[in-house]
Amino acid sequence: MATDKEQAKLEEKLEREYEKKHKKKFKLTFGDIIFNIFNYGFFAIFTFSCIFPFYYIFINTISSRDAVIGGRVTLWPVGFNIQNYLDILNVGTIFQAFGVTFARTLIGTALMVAATGLIGYLVTKDEMWNRKLWYRFIVITMYFNAGIIPWYMNMSMLGLTGKFAAYIIPGIVAPYNIILVKTYIESIPAELEESAFMDGAGFFTVFRKIIWPLSKPILATIAIFGAVGHWNSFTDSLMLMQESPELFTVQHLLYNYLNAGSNLAGMMNSGTSSNTGALETLLNAKVIKYTVSMVTIIPILLVYPFMQRYFEKGIMLGAVKG
Amino acid sequence: MEVNVNEKAKRMRIPYIIMRLLTIIAAVLMFFPTLSPLNFISQAGQAKIKPTASLFTSAISYKELTDGMGRAFDKGWLNETYFILMFITSIIFLLGIIFVGIGVCMSLGNLRMKTVGNRSLFGGVLTMLAGMAGMFGLYQLIINTMNAEKITVYFPVGMPLYMILTMLMVILGVYIFVATPKADKSEKMEMETKYKLFLMLMPFLALVFAFSYLPLFSWRYAFFDYEAGGELSKDNFVGFKWFLSLVQNPTYVKRIVRVLRNTLVMSGLGIATSWVPMFFAIFLMEVKSVRFRKLVQLFTTVPNFISWVMVYAIAFAIFQTDGFINTFVNQIFDTFNVAEVLCAIVNNFSDIVNTEGAIGFINKVFGTKWDTNYLMPTDFMWVKMLLWGIWKSLGWSAIIYISSIAGIDQQLYEAATVDGAGRFQKIRYITLPGLLPTYVVMLVMSIAGILSNGMDQYLVFATPNNKKFIEVLDLYVYNLGIGSGDIPLSTVVGMTKSIVSVALLFVANKVSKAIRGENVV
Repeated sequence: MATDKEQAKLEEKLEREYEKKHKKKFKLTFGDIIFNIFNYGFFAIFTFSCIFPFYYIFINTISSRDAVIGGRVTLWPVGFNIQNYLDILNVGTIFQAFGVTFARTLIGTALMVAATGLIGYLVTKDEMWNRKLWYRFIVITMYFNAGIIPWYMNMSMLGLTGKFAAYIIPGIVAPYNIILVKTYIESIPAELEESAFMDGAGFFTVFRKIIWPLSKPILATIAIFGAVGHWNSFTDSLMLMQESPELFTVQHLLYNYLNAGSNLAGMMNSGTSSNTGALETLLNAKVIKYTVSMVTIIPILLVYPFMQRYFEKGIMLGAVKG
Repeated sequence: MEVNVNEKAKRMRIPYIIMRLLTIIAAVLMFFPTLSPLNFISQAGQAKIKPTASLFTSAISYKELTDGMGRAFDKGWLNETYFILMFITSIIFLLGIIFVGIGVCMSLGNLRMKTVGNRSLFGGVLTMLAGMAGMFGLYQLIINTMNAEKITVYFPVGMPLYMILTMLMVILGVYIFVATPKADKSEKMEMETKYKLFLMLMPFLALVFAFSYLPLFSWRYAFFDYEAGGELSKDNFVGFKWFLSLVQNPTYVKRIVRVLRNTLVMSGLGIATSWVPMFFAIFLMEVKSVRFRKLVQLFTTVPNFISWVMVYAIAFAIFQTDGFINTFVNQIFDTFNVAEVLCAIVNNFSDIVNTEGAIGFINKVFGTKWDTNYLMPTDFMWVKMLLWGIWKSLGWSAIIYISSIAGIDQQLYEAATVDGAGRFQKIRYITLPGLLPTYVVMLVMSIAGILSNGMDQYLVFATPNNKKFIEVLDLYVYNLGIGSGDIPLSTVVGMTKSIVSVALLFVANKVSKAIRGENVV
């Protein structure tokens, strides 16, 4: 990790030095200046449009309710307080949805990564009986799907509707990730494995002691993609959990809030909270929408800066495959 | 002696293969609710609503097995003990299959392993037989003791099927157990690597089968007149009726045409703007400040990682009646009294021109509160959807082009500079040709996905008003199947879509091969 960071820093430094050296050569013409104004201007505006909405929602959630309703919050918080976030803790449904989503993100991602690592290694082994056939059997599923209704009927046939397992089990085998991991493992020098086998190590020892540690970068990448996917998923909750509101994911709950509008009161009553005072103040639909949105997005925004390079690595590996 | 044992063991090959196949069949059958030998009871008068537990779910969840039977127990129409016994017998049957499974897996090993596995196999088939006998006994018992007015017992289709299967497995299992020569106890249990590796992969293959291949089996609903909760039988088999109605029934035709139009328009717009990320990357690389570039990249990729629900929440926050735009405009107008100032200015000219109209206009624009809801109107719905899509994915899609640009030989640019090429000439003659292969791949793939716009975006933005513009194929299938419960028709639509998509993918692959000599798939 540390070396990766240092490498990146070094590259940046070199790049900057390169730019400095070459800057003297170019003289900015009038055309260049006009171009730069438009170019920088465009990117500044677009970048602003990508972050401002989050900021706007955020300042609304930490402003006083009167200011929000009175339309006085536009560019900075007015009457700073965190009451909204405290109130949200009192609404049982939201808390529960968070629990469910956290659980599925953790368990689902962990299982997917472990399985993908193992499968990715297994399918590189030429000794396996009919290896090519099984590999194709897995990978080909990326290119067809039966459709959403057959999928739903299948899930209900397997008895997974209304069960937490429905979030986890179908995602364990992820063909695209398997391709990424397989490609990566193939790039690990075969001598490492061979010498371990020579020394009498078993399959699992080699996997645990050599393959797993060496493929950590790619595993981290797929873990992050998997976690984001789990965190953001809502169609499976929407379709499979119609009769089990206790298993709704946060995104599903947010979707309901956004659609419910004035129906919010009814949904609140079904919450497990006994603190009716807090509920009543929460009936300010707009603020609760904002607050739930914010809580949904905060985990992603928090980990995002640290994860960005893994994201990029992931998309590049995917491109190499094509 | 040694030779003799090996030859005998070799003769067992075929029985083992049959045993393995039967085990797989039995294991798969356990997941089909309609074939469960325990599904033979329904409450009288509700013949259509039948228990939906498969044998597997019966064995792992008592709650599912007794689903909908609560009333019958409470009123004493049926003795609950029977259901407890059913639960136990199904567990026994499941355990039997598991033991058989272990046995057949071990049969891939050497003779010593086979011998140990055979014990599990033998025990397993006997357990299965016990479970099966228990189930059949319960069936007979319930027929004879139930309250016929309140409870209907019908014949479980799965019962004979399971009985035949169990009998076959028992006979074969016993034969294998008896006929396989016993291995020397001193021999070590071993298995060839090729089978070991396969057995490790097998559980995952089962998952792939269950969640990617098994749904194809649900395509059968397209050929039946099926209603939710009902069942499939010869009586409601309708053949290609739904396929035909899709092109003959005027109401369906009208809607399908509309849905196809939306789908193709959205995909068409997507393809028509597919060059945008490439140019985003090109112009971003023209930015000389590395720090600014990194900042832009960091922030513009964020929207890709939020869900469409969240995008909708943002749309809400910005464009609603009390969203950012209206609030901001109102605040500015209030603070600076724009209306008053403008009116005063206009009044200065009242000697020369008639200012009434102008003042009215100013008051209308600047004097009143802004409360336009920018989300609701359905004008330019397609363009709006396209813009949301671009906003969400632009920064992310550009990454791949940014990396490609970094990979272009820098000497080309230096040479071009020496030759006096300007910024746009360099883009035109060096960068663009360098990016074209990547772009073509992306384009070909998007053509293959022309029928798949994804559902999330259109689902969250859908309102009754804009439905006629944003109901794309994926959303239509969802609305039809989950919303209106019309499972056969939505299966037909989804099925047709899937088949056409696979065909398109093949075409795309061929095209890519012709252009680049490389497969995309």
